[in-house]
Amino acid sequence: MTKSHNALTEVEAKELLAKARIPVVETKLARSKREAISMSKEMGFPVVLKVNSRDVIHKSDSGGVKLGLANATQAGKAYSEIMSSIRQAHPDARIEGISVQPMVAPAVEVIVGMSKDPQFGPVIMFGLGGILVEVLKDVSFRIVPLTERDAGEMIREIKGYPILEGYRGQKPASLPALEKLIVQVSRFVEKNSHIRELDLNPVFAYPDRALAVDARIILE
Amino acid sequence: MFEEKLKELEPVFYPRSIAVVGASANSVKAGSAWVWSLVSAGFPGPVYPVGSSGGRIANLDIFPSLRLIPGEVDYVIVAIPRRSVLELLDDCIAKSVKAVQFFTAGFSEMDAQQGLQLEKQMVEKARRGNIRIVGPNCIGVYCPEQRIPFIMGALGKSGCVGFASQSGGIAGKLATLGMARQIDYSKGVSFGNGIDLDASDFLQYLAADPKTKVIGAYLEGTRDGARLFNTMQAVARVKPLVVWKGGRTEAGAQAARSHTGSLASSAAIWSAALRQVGAVEVYSLEELTDTLLLFQNLGRWQGRRVAIIGGLADGGGGMSVSAGDACMDNELEVPPLSPETREELSALLGEAGSILHNPVDVSQAQFRGLETLFRAIDLVARDTAVDAVLIQEDIDIVLPIYSQQGLEEISEFFIHLRSKQNKPLLVVLPPGSSEPERLQTEQKLLKGSIPVFCSVERAARALSNLNRYSFRRGLVDPSLTQPVTMPEPG
Repeated sequence: MTKSHNALTEVEAKELLAKARIPVVETKLARSKREAISMSKEMGFPVVLKVNSRDVIHKSDSGGVKLGLANATQAGKAYSEIMSSIRQAHPDARIEGISVQPMVAPAVEVIVGMSKDPQFGPVIMFGLGGILVEVLKDVSFRIVPLTERDAGEMIREIKGYPILEGYRGQKPASLPALEKLIVQVSRFVEKNSHIRELDLNPVFAYPDRALAVDARIILE
Repeated sequence: MFEEKLKELEPVFYPRSIAVVGASANSVKAGSAWVWSLVSAGFPGPVYPVGSSGGRIANLDIFPSLRLIPGEVDYVIVAIPRRSVLELLDDCIAKSVKAVQFFTAGFSEMDAQQGLQLEKQMVEKARRGNIRIVGPNCIGVYCPEQRIPFIMGALGKSGCVGFASQSGGIAGKLATLGMARQIDYSKGVSFGNGIDLDASDFLQYLAADPKTKVIGAYLEGTRDGARLFNTMQAVARVKPLVVWKGGRTEAGAQAARSHTGSLASSAAIWSAALRQVGAVEVYSLEELTDTLLLFQNLGRWQGRRVAIIGGLADGGGGMSVSAGDACMDNELEVPPLSPETREELSALLGEAGSILHNPVDVSQAQFRGLETLFRAIDLVARDTAVDAVLIQEDIDIVLPIYSQQGLEEISEFFIHLRSKQNKPLLVVLPPGSSEPERLQTEQKLLKGSIPVFCSVERAARALSNLNRYSFRRGLVDPSLTQPVTMPEPG
């Protein structure tokens, strides 16, 4: 288990981001199975349930994430399963509840992150999701604050950029939407100097918009 | 922009008098070397050697203490052990000195805690006494206009290239490489640990300095990244800024810590920062000098399309091929010449086919004489399909075919063409078995403001750097995109 007392929960992080008008998937905190089911109904199926705990960083590794839940029965069952597997894997973890969010349509996945450089301060990182960022380190950086032009350049700088332009008949991702999101993140971290690290991973890059699906914020 | 810096640093670059502390009559001490260098360079104001041993050096009396110098002292060069620096600063305050340069080393770069503490005390004292510090751990100021050399003594000509370097060794080499390649400096400075005046101060000064048109920098790290970032961004808007970041690798970063006490950021973040501010990042001393030379001789430039003349006399086949690769590898284009030019070339040289596309083979001219060669090159340079002409001239081949006199006529023709044609001419003179003639040719061409390189790769890289800067500036502010203009040769 990775403990980080300065970490916000996913729901807290997304609330902060949404307030800063950074597009994030609507995510609510359910404190009981009944609440989880009624929230799921309100949002519309399919939904995703995740454990909401600042003590559990790698949620899916310990059975803390259930995707594509199609109805109330599945949502209720997922709630119980998540609770029992987290209690087993991380007996000491404080669990605030279970987050409920709609299962959004798939898209090209990108990552937008912020970390602090010892010399230049907050730095924004951009990359494609999954193997491209993890194995090939295909990422670009810019120093905060970023202009839209900086954001545009850092998007075009990665080797995997053609994937965003659309391949094998896929529609291209909206670059203005990504640029805007990156600039908003830059403004957000500029205003909130007590944020040490931020990760939007993944951000779904649709042809008409960009949407952060998961978010992690660590404070100083 | 940054006009206030001109006044602030005037005593650093244009002192009226200099004292050198740590000089002695008969030793090879650094202080003594500085006295000799200043005197032989012809520094126009008084030079006051200071040292405990007394006696004379370079026909000057050595003063036992700074306080005993009769006249005013603007600037002090210090080469004494670190245990005496605070006391020395008291002397400077008593003498109303304006700025002090510390060659003295052994501060935060050697000993993080004690060194840093001493640096703090020095800065506090200097601030109270209204004194600016250059260094410590540096060779300080170089200003050919004011006849101030680095410690090694060579002065060079005064020109339009300014530089700031964290390293003294690199500052010194940059100055002497400039002398070898006719890169003429307005000012240079090595600022070492930069405890008071640092990279940002000097870059701001160079941006404001009317004598400086192009700025080079060698940096290892910074104590105030945000200030450096903002400074570089503002500076690159008004003048080309070429930056070489040392300590890009783990081994390099470790060396940088013990060299100038710099913290390490990852190379990727430095590269991102340099790109973001619109500076040109270079990766070696060679690339730095190549790029500064090209900026000096061409100014702002926009144009990626290069005509390559692979072999001036003969043997240019493989050279043409590799030159084409070198250009394409560096984001330059090698487009075919216009059909009209090709037709005229074919009539002139009695050749046809692909060798007249681009790269161009003009070796057939050797059977028709120099006039034919010159007309062929003139045709290529006139072609509106290209923005620059890159000529590879291998002296080993040119000399036996055209003789010494022909070699000189070729250089004269290049200089003539350069002044006539509104198009840059870059000449590559690869080293070989005719070094005296090659060096002679290089100096002649450089004197005519033609940039000379020793390989096509380096020429292409420098041209690409020039393009990248100009292109970027054009995007930021279209009014800065100049039509092709060439400085007057001379």
